[in-house]
Amino acid sequence: MGSDYRSKKREILWKKSILHFSLCFIMGFMFGFAPTTTSHQSSIKPHDNSVQSTAAPITTTVEASLNSTEIDEDDEYGTPLILVTVTSSINPFKHTFLRRLSDTLKHVPAPLLWIIAENRLEAGSTAEMLRMTGIMYRHLTFNENFTDVETEMDYQRNLALKHIEYHRLDGIVHFADLSNVYELNFFDEIRDIETFGTWVVASLSANGEVVIDGPVCSDSKVLGWSFNHSGVTDDDQSPLKLMSRNSVSGFGFKSSILWDPERWGRRVSETESMASINYVRQAMLEDESKLMAFPSDCSRIMVWNLHVPRTLFLGVGDQLT
Amino acid sequence: MEGWVWVCWVISCLLLLSISSSGESTDHNRRTERISGSAGDVLEDDPVGRLKVFIYDLPSKYNKKILQKDPRCLNHMFAAEIFMHRFLLSSQVRTLDPEEADWFYTPVYTTCDLTPNGLPLPFKSPRMMRSAIQLISSRWPFWNRTQGADHFFVVPHDFGACFHYKEQIAIERGILPVLERATLVQTFGQKNHVCLKEGSITIPPFAPPQKMQAHLIPADTPRSIFVYFRGLFYDVGNDPEGGYYARGARASVWENFKDNPLFDISTEHPLTYYEDMQRAIFCLCPLGWAPWSPRLVEGVIFGCIPVIIADDIVLPFADAIPWEEIGVFVSEEDVPKLDTILTSISPEVILRKQRLLANPSMKQAMLFPQPAQPGDAFHQILNGLARKLPHGRDVYLKPGEKVLNWTAGPVGDLKPW
Amino acid sequence: MLKQHVPRRGNSFTRQNSNLDSSLSTAVTVTTTETFLSIPKSTASIFWTFLHTACCIGSLIFGFRFSRVAFFLLFSSSLSSITPILHHTADVFLPTLSSANHTAVPGSRVVVGRHGIRIRPWPHPNPAEVMTAHAIIDRVQKEQRLQYGVRNPRSVIAITPTYVRTFQTLHLTGLMHSLMLLPYNLTWVVVEAGGVSNETKQLLERTGFLNTIHIGIDDEMPVEWEGRHRLEVKMRFKGLREVRERRLDGIVVFADDSNMHSMEMFDEIQKVNWFGALSVGILAQTGKSNSMLQRGEKNEPEKGNHPVPVQGPACNSSQRLVGWHTFNNLPYAGQSAILVGDDATVLPTNLEWSGFVLNSRLVWKDFKDKPEWVRDLDEIEKNGDQFGNPLVLVKDSSFVEPLGNCGRKVMLWWLRVEARSDSKFPPGWVIDPPLEVVVPARHTPWPIRVPGNLSAKLSSSVSSGFARAKRI
Repeated sequence: MGSDYRSKKREILWKKSILHFSLCFIMGFMFGFAPTTTSHQSSIKPHDNSVQSTAAPITTTVEASLNSTEIDEDDEYGTPLILVTVTSSINPFKHTFLRRLSDTLKHVPAPLLWIIAENRLEAGSTAEMLRMTGIMYRHLTFNENFTDVETEMDYQRNLALKHIEYHRLDGIVHFADLSNVYELNFFDEIRDIETFGTWVVASLSANGEVVIDGPVCSDSKVLGWSFNHSGVTDDDQSPLKLMSRNSVSGFGFKSSILWDPERWGRRVSETESMASINYVRQAMLEDESKLMAFPSDCSRIMVWNLHVPRTLFLGVGDQLT
Repeated sequence: MEGWVWVCWVISCLLLLSISSSGESTDHNRRTERISGSAGDVLEDDPVGRLKVFIYDLPSKYNKKILQKDPRCLNHMFAAEIFMHRFLLSSQVRTLDPEEADWFYTPVYTTCDLTPNGLPLPFKSPRMMRSAIQLISSRWPFWNRTQGADHFFVVPHDFGACFHYKEQIAIERGILPVLERATLVQTFGQKNHVCLKEGSITIPPFAPPQKMQAHLIPADTPRSIFVYFRGLFYDVGNDPEGGYYARGARASVWENFKDNPLFDISTEHPLTYYEDMQRAIFCLCPLGWAPWSPRLVEGVIFGCIPVIIADDIVLPFADAIPWEEIGVFVSEEDVPKLDTILTSISPEVILRKQRLLANPSMKQAMLFPQPAQPGDAFHQILNGLARKLPHGRDVYLKPGEKVLNWTAGPVGDLKPW
Repeated sequence: MLKQHVPRRGNSFTRQNSNLDSSLSTAVTVTTTETFLSIPKSTASIFWTFLHTACCIGSLIFGFRFSRVAFFLLFSSSLSSITPILHHTADVFLPTLSSANHTAVPGSRVVVGRHGIRIRPWPHPNPAEVMTAHAIIDRVQKEQRLQYGVRNPRSVIAITPTYVRTFQTLHLTGLMHSLMLLPYNLTWVVVEAGGVSNETKQLLERTGFLNTIHIGIDDEMPVEWEGRHRLEVKMRFKGLREVRERRLDGIVVFADDSNMHSMEMFDEIQKVNWFGALSVGILAQTGKSNSMLQRGEKNEPEKGNHPVPVQGPACNSSQRLVGWHTFNNLPYAGQSAILVGDDATVLPTNLEWSGFVLNSRLVWKDFKDKPEWVRDLDEIEKNGDQFGNPLVLVKDSSFVEPLGNCGRKVMLWWLRVEARSDSKFPPGWVIDPPLEVVVPARHTPWPIRVPGNLSAKLSSSVSSGFARAKRI
């Protein structure tokens, strides 16, 4: 009888403990699942898939436990900005203007990556100036020589785009011209770009002309383009030609278009590299519906471009004693 | 779980900080901090008077002639063997009377045999070393007295006295048997490794001091790079499969962080390499084929916190320098979490590491300057040797006692040099 | 470059396994202990409760770990096919194990041989970590300034003459961004010609720092350069009077809106005791059409690394001020700009004010320790001497302290680029009415949604609007 009672008690105990254990097990199981589900979901986004597909085919994955706080929206933290500045070798004001631009960029809230392209021969003194700015930058250099400034500038832009493509840097790309002046709000606005963004740019030149180029829009949608069309023949009237003729400072785009074109529904052509300024121009103008103009009525000018005048250097001034 | 580990880690770091900051020197110059390792506050010690070194006078074919054949050895990562010799010749610790010497030094340049590309070939080194030892043991009585226990040798090659650049083979070979009792001064350092003998002195690799000096930029240059690295990620030539080179750690750095704007990493070597290190906060020092790399020295000189990725590495002068406080250690396994690890270090800890790095005695200890300066790597080696004194009883052998087996080791090594 | 990398999953699994093992072993102990019911009841019950809890915690952890394994498998299968991973694990363990024999070193974690290249499943930088990293960088830079920057810096008082014109926004914004970066206390005295305007006021409001004193002067800015230079001097004196009246304490700089300053200059001026002079780089423009430069004319002989002409203190070898470098105006004789915005070279005056800095106490009224070689503002203005050059402030120019390595280091640049005085620009740079469409958008998927008045505006080619006016 005693043993009977005991065995019964033992049975109850067993049941009780097994119930407790299984409850705890389920709880633990749930705990384990709760935080990582977010990162799991985020991995389904085209975003992450694309990266995985090109990563080494067989690799060890590491537990994602540390990353339970992964955020899939950038709202809280601000989209990274990738600003590209190209330097023409003939611009004698190069350093002075770079310095002024860097003063402006220093005010832009992080994350910001500034890419500067320059001929290797001239890069030494620029590097000296750049490293005093305290801005996170990458100074890309090249050896090629050019006779035409436009070709050189496009080459430099392509160099920067290649860097972005190679490193798969994610953010909004904008070509910040050496002689641009920005209203600081501008950098907040361009973080909202979803695919392509465009805005009006005022070009000021010393002979008294103010030229305003850019989109005419309503509700952030582009209705058409306005630009200085003096000297433009009828053959040139395609937006592509006109856009490339005018300032590249008037647009920005999501960098993933360079290294993940499928995500944006673009086919990768065999012949053309993604990372070229022409590709970007084409992609943007082919699908104007993805263009976002801002401010929503395109009325405010936030970027000014100073057309650098020719300069004449006379050597060091005379000395008076 | 991991989160808790981190919390604990951060808390311990903070504790460490509070302890150390209370011990901080109170004088007005707070830019640097005193450095003391397990052996105490020894970085600024003066070895003069604490030991005497006798230099064997070897035929020049063991040293000078080799250098004449290839002067590139002077700028090589392994140049320490040459400069150490030059330093000792004019050093105050040198004695001409072998009877009063505490240590005996044999000047052999075993790693000064470079390929046209400048890579060292260690194939002849074992025979050369044996030949030198045979010579000193036959010409002087001191080797036989201890069979090398009061002798030291500078062997800066990848895997030290194992004399092979492939780790697997180096391990198979083991340390040259005739050096079994000697003290080795080497760059290689990895715990529990066949090629690291107990009692060895681990030194920094040679980095050209003048060249580094020429690239110094003002200390107020704002540091604007979070993580910096220039070098190989894959060694396709020697490791086409991948996974052998750097035990996969460098490849992992690239694959995980090439798309992170905080990681300024690339294979291209820019002209501003040294300057860029001076505007970076963290400099990656992952292992390559060997666990150590010159980046460690560069990081210290340029005030960039070394992020050491090499499991079980033994760092230079580890008893004098508290590397744990100066650098950041990331296990090879944790490379994919590098960003999390580095961003979770509190700014105060980072600033303290920077202050320690700014200590001139720290920088001095990493360099082999010409002429030598107090506290430099030469002096640290001597300090290390001095700390081993007085010699224990087991150093001296009974008359007639033999420990070394002269015929041990690969047959190829036994051929005359 | 990427070869097939064999994974090394051993670690993550072993860790899970060890956990699994420990929880199993505790489960085993439970069964054995339960048979010992002969232990006194109270102790037994305490022991039992303790054990029960321990086991509960154990299974909690077990569950947690198990979920991880499940999640891990789920996750990796969703990323890439799991088969290659499993297929290759066999290869992984073989070299790892075989090489472990080679090492034959107990206690070391390091294994010779082939290792997996670990790639994490979360590929992108975590935005929170990116922000933390930037915060760390900021902190480090702040510390660097603390340690290596100027100790006990004095305030900076910048005096800027300005007026509403086409280039004002461009120039003033640039200067504003530089001033906003100063790590020192700053008072910015902005003197506007033609009285305080809303246009300028709105611009200044963007600074976000409060220490702006915006005052006006009734005179309108003349269209000739000479008149402009004179009025600007008058405006700077107005600024100095403001400093005098408010007894502002600090270092006065004459920051013209179109000048460009390097941050180093503001550190350098902290060295000034009373009255200092700096070198100014003169960025002079030629009168030739600037459009040629934009289109990239290459064959100009001036191109290259010619030093910028410099105006400023000249020293002898013993670092003593012996004279002044001035800009050579001669080559420009007869072709210099007369009117603001002329398509010709704008020349600096003999010595530009922007190259001088002074201790604000020099202009204070009744300041006891004022050096005797300084002239009082009242006296200068009474005699009408102010239009000479900045040296009118002192009786003896030998007291001027040359700054910037005795003028060798150029830290600010003088640039005068202006639009023609009659050029038009949209007020406040707000375009109203909208611009004329030169090329319509290619695809306009919303033709119906265009508001009537807007399309009308667009079609009527905005004859009265700015779009025409801009091309005079």
